Amino acid sequence: MAPEARFVEEPVIGDELIHQGLGGLLFWGDDSALDEDSHVERLLDRISNGVLADDRRSAMTQLQQVVAESSSAQLAFGAMGFPVLLSVLKEESDDDEMIRGALETLVSALTPIDTVMGQKNEIRPATMNSDLLSRESESIPLLLSLLSEDDFYIRYYTLQLLTALLTHSPNRLQEAILSTPRGITRLMDMLMDREVIRNEALLLLTYLTREAEEIQKIVVFEGAFEKIFSIIKEEGGSDGGVVVQDCIELLNNLIRNNASNQMLLKETIGFEPLISILKLHRGSAYNFTQQKTINLVHALETVDVLLMGGPEGEPTRDANRLSNQAAFAQNRILDHLLMLGAESQWAPVTVRCKALRCIGSLVIKNSQNCDAVASKLVGEEPHAEPALNAILRIILRTSISQEFTAANYVFKCFCEKNADGQAMLASAMTQPNSISQRNLQDDGTLSFGSMLLQALVTIEKNEELEVLQVKLDAAMTPLGSPEPLLHRLVKYVAFAASTKTKDNDQTNTNGSRDGSYIQPIILQLLVTWLADCPNAVCCFLDAPSHLTYILDLISGSHACVFARGLASLILGICVLHNNSNENGRDSFAIVDAISQKIGLTSYFAKFDELQKIFKSHFSTSAPVKLPTRSSSASMLDSEEVENDGLDPMQGSPVLAAIIDPTFVNFVRRLEGEIREKVVDTYSRTRNQDAAVPAELEQRNGEVDRDYIARLKSFLEKQCHDMQDLLTRNATLAEELVRTAGSGALEAITEKPSSGRERLQSEALRHELHGAARQLETLKVQKAKIEEEAGYYRNMTGKLEADLKSLSDAYNSLEQDNYRLESEVKSLRKGGNSPHYDLEAIKAEARDEAQKESEVELNDLLVCLGQEQSKVEKLSTRLVELGEDVDKLLEGIGDDAGLPDEEDDGGD
Amino acid sequence: MSYAYLFKYIIIGDTGVGKSCLLLQFTDKRFQPVHDLTIGVEFGARMITIDNKPIKLQIWDTAGQESFRSITRSYYRGAAGALLVYDITRRETFNHLASWLEDARQHANANMTIMLIGNKCDLAHRRAVSTEEGQQFAKEHGLIFMEASAKTAQNVEEAFINTAATIYKKIQDGVFDVSNESYGIKVGYGGIPGPAGGRDGSSSQAGGCCS
Ligand SMILES: Nc1nc2c(ncn2[C@@H]2O[C@H](COP(=O)(O)OP(=O)(O)OP(=O)(O)O)[C@@H](O)[C@H]2O)c(=O)[nH]1
Ligand SMILES: [Mg+2]
Repeated sequence: MAPEARFVEEPVIGDELIHQGLGGLLFWGDDSALDEDSHVERLLDRISNGVLADDRRSAMTQLQQVVAESSSAQLAFGAMGFPVLLSVLKEESDDDEMIRGALETLVSALTPIDTVMGQKNEIRPATMNSDLLSRESESIPLLLSLLSEDDFYIRYYTLQLLTALLTHSPNRLQEAILSTPRGITRLMDMLMDREVIRNEALLLLTYLTREAEEIQKIVVFEGAFEKIFSIIKEEGGSDGGVVVQDCIELLNNLIRNNASNQMLLKETIGFEPLISILKLHRGSAYNFTQQKTINLVHALETVDVLLMGGPEGEPTRDANRLSNQAAFAQNRILDHLLMLGAESQWAPVTVRCKALRCIGSLVIKNSQNCDAVASKLVGEEPHAEPALNAILRIILRTSISQEFTAANYVFKCFCEKNADGQAMLASAMTQPNSISQRNLQDDGTLSFGSMLLQALVTIEKNEELEVLQVKLDAAMTPLGSPEPLLHRLVKYVAFAASTKTKDNDQTNTNGSRDGSYIQPIILQLLVTWLADCPNAVCCFLDAPSHLTYILDLISGSHACVFARGLASLILGICVLHNNSNENGRDSFAIVDAISQKIGLTSYFAKFDELQKIFKSHFSTSAPVKLPTRSSSASMLDSEEVENDGLDPMQGSPVLAAIIDPTFVNFVRRLEGEIREKVVDTYSRTRNQDAAVPAELEQRNGEVDRDYIARLKSFLEKQCHDMQDLLTRNATLAEELVRTAGSGALEAITEKPSSGRERLQSEALRHELHGAARQLETLKVQKAKIEEEAGYYRNMTGKLEADLKSLSDAYNSLEQDNYRLESEVKSLRKGGNSPHYDLEAIKAEARDEAQKESEVELNDLLVCLGQEQSKVEKLSTRLVELGEDVDKLLEGIGDDAGLPDEEDDGGD
Repeated sequence: MSYAYLFKYIIIGDTGVGKSCLLLQFTDKRFQPVHDLTIGVEFGARMITIDNKPIKLQIWDTAGQESFRSITRSYYRGAAGALLVYDITRRETFNHLASWLEDARQHANANMTIMLIGNKCDLAHRRAVSTEEGQQFAKEHGLIFMEASAKTAQNVEEAFINTAATIYKKIQDGVFDVSNESYGIKVGYGGIPGPAGGRDGSSSQAGGCCS
């Protein structure tokens, strides 16, 4: 970057200098370092004290050279050079060349030199110099003032110097710039300078605004937004070079965590200039260079940040989100996002994903934008199709899990807390029908259904399927009234299942399992769709075959565990969010169907299996996957990770991607509600009002006939309830037998409906004879129970008596025990009184007591007494003989109980 | 979004005189009874009409506390208007006006329009600075003057709008080179081009960016 031409006038570089420079590099020793020190010192001296202007300039040039080449010269310069050069900058503002030289020298002193020696632990002179310079209190205001100089190189080097300072000592520089009046203003002016300077200033500002919020605000106050967008426009928008990237990066720094700046952007400039970056220009729409991709991803990042409504935790976040969503929508951002995310076949995957995420953020919790996206068409007539179709197709067709997740996110956002939106999804999806009918002959127009099929075909790569496709297509499209999408989805589930079975039959040896995720995905879509949406449930149940099909799916064995779990959820939702009163479609009917066809126990077991899948899924792949998913930079990494984590999902990265924490939590909550509701429904009768016994009494003034009629109707009701309950009871009993594992009864369970009929007639018979018989039995039972009661009463009396005598016996035992204990105590007390040698005696006695009687102990004591007198005699004798008796006795006394060891111990 | 002109304002004055309250009253039409110390600088915006022309006001409310002075000074130069506020119940805030003016003279552009506001005039019973004193000070230093109350909204609209009217008049009189944005004035897209011509050519050449 350094302008080469400048030193042509100074052709003679002293031999001495070259010699020293090389010496410094080649022989890194104390001597050469010392030489370097004195050399730098001499040059500095010439600069500050020189008289001839030319001599001073050449000294400056030499100084710059040596500092640029050698670390030790940088070190030497740091030790003494700064005051000299700063005073040049301050006092010689009329000598441009000196100032230029001084600035260039400073830049060199702060630029790290790649030393061949690679001493890693050593302090890098460049870093140290940067620190030293930033500590000079006057240096930064001085540098900022130099930015207004007319000389191009002065401004250029000054910017470089500031950038170098910023990379090494960001905090000090930020503070210094903030406290310099007009400091930032000067930097901002550089954005309008010549291109080289402008680009340099852009980088500097990007560094500067990374964290410091106050600087971000001032930069915006100085008109940064206008300047940024005008540079982007000048450079050709997303087709521009790295400068555009720098601009968008600066823009991101300014708004990312700064609610005030976001507000200002919206209030004063608006989002239009940002959106126009996303516009693909004719002719360049097919050409996505790497730089363009980066530019677009950065711009989309900005859009996403704004759509979030500001930094997390801001109280105004929700309001901001809504107003930003509206403002973006007003500027027709959706068109561009759809172009990038769903329409353009040339947009790289990172761009597509980011655009899809923006679509999600645009519609989330915003019903207007939901409407907008639902009614949007993409593509050009006559090939136009609803945007949501296109996105759904991505879900079905993509092999890239990031793209799948992003497209899935759109639908998630679209449905979030929005029953209307969910219903709208249904109606929007049926629209292509009319279009496709209109252009039925046109092969290019894909209705939603055939699109799904196409997706299947693409994935399956199975030629045979084409036949199936044609059949289904033909059966589907000619219908007079548009078929609800929901119904069609169920067909696809069935279809996916059938192809899969086929597939497995044919290729189960090579384990092709690509298509196995289609079914779960559609089922998941159904789950999401039906949940919290009684209308959708109603629509779903319109076709009686749906219920049967889902039941078959759950009880059959051809669907995978995950699919069966999801199907169980669908049934559960039909119970939970069912507001139908129609017979055969209300929640009672569905619970009945569940219990008869599947059995409640095994139905609930499906949930447990589902949870098990979730658990194993998260324990293996989640910790690695989750943190990386959000950042676009690491997209490729996470893709790899997900492919590693296939196992728990039995084969599909896409499945792994749809089981995200949100869905898992959703299922967990849903499951709890379903369990509760099913049990609740099951344990209640159809008629809510339970019979109250008081009603049975004849009312005051009630005519006998009325009374009878009332009782009769009551009886009828009871009869119904009873029938109901009996049926359920029977089913439960059957289930009990079944779960108990008796294979012999399978014949009965195969035909559950016959059981029901049988039971109904039985119930009627019960009506006739039951009461009388029951009474009879009850009487017998009562007598028996009374008899038993008497028997038990006798028994109790006897047992009581027994207990009494036992407790007496226990009491006397207790007394005995107490007495014995006190005896022991007193004995223990008495035993403590004898004075000397008791321990020895005790020890011996303990040993002896086991073998010898108390008499023997007495003998021993007598013996001891005898010995004692012997000792006394002997000691008198010994005293007479002049021995130290006490000392002798000491030893003997200790060993009195151990006569055998007397010899050893006596010494 | 379209406007004829955009004016940048700053609000300055001692801490607690009611700068943030004045802005809030002007942009949101409400009053905040608790003192939320401003940290650094806060931003607000509103559209007004002068001479039938839409004018966008960008207002930066600065922190009055001494420790933020170096930050807030950065906003002086690029402002077209300043509201210099004191509190009529606290004499010292009036006494400090001279030093605020000194600061403004030093850092702002010479053509900045300054409106002196004696705030909290609803608290007449605790008045410590008379209206005449305020008037006198304004006259001596060439400022516009008003007493106002951020609480009752009295004269709040007027303060902001009169300032804008003065700036507008200066533009009409050709005092500013409106193409130079450092004066805190911008000619809008929706407005008539100012007397001093349009913007520089950079934007017009940007059309042919296709490759
Ligand atoms: N009675 C009355 N109180 C006011 C008025 N204006 C502001 N206040 C009160 O004065 C206090 C300070 O107001 P602020 O607007 O936060 O003060 P400030 O000038 O922004 O202070 P800094 O942000 O520290 O510079 C608050 O408690 C307000 O309620 C007014 O017109 N009348
Ligand atoms: Mg304030």
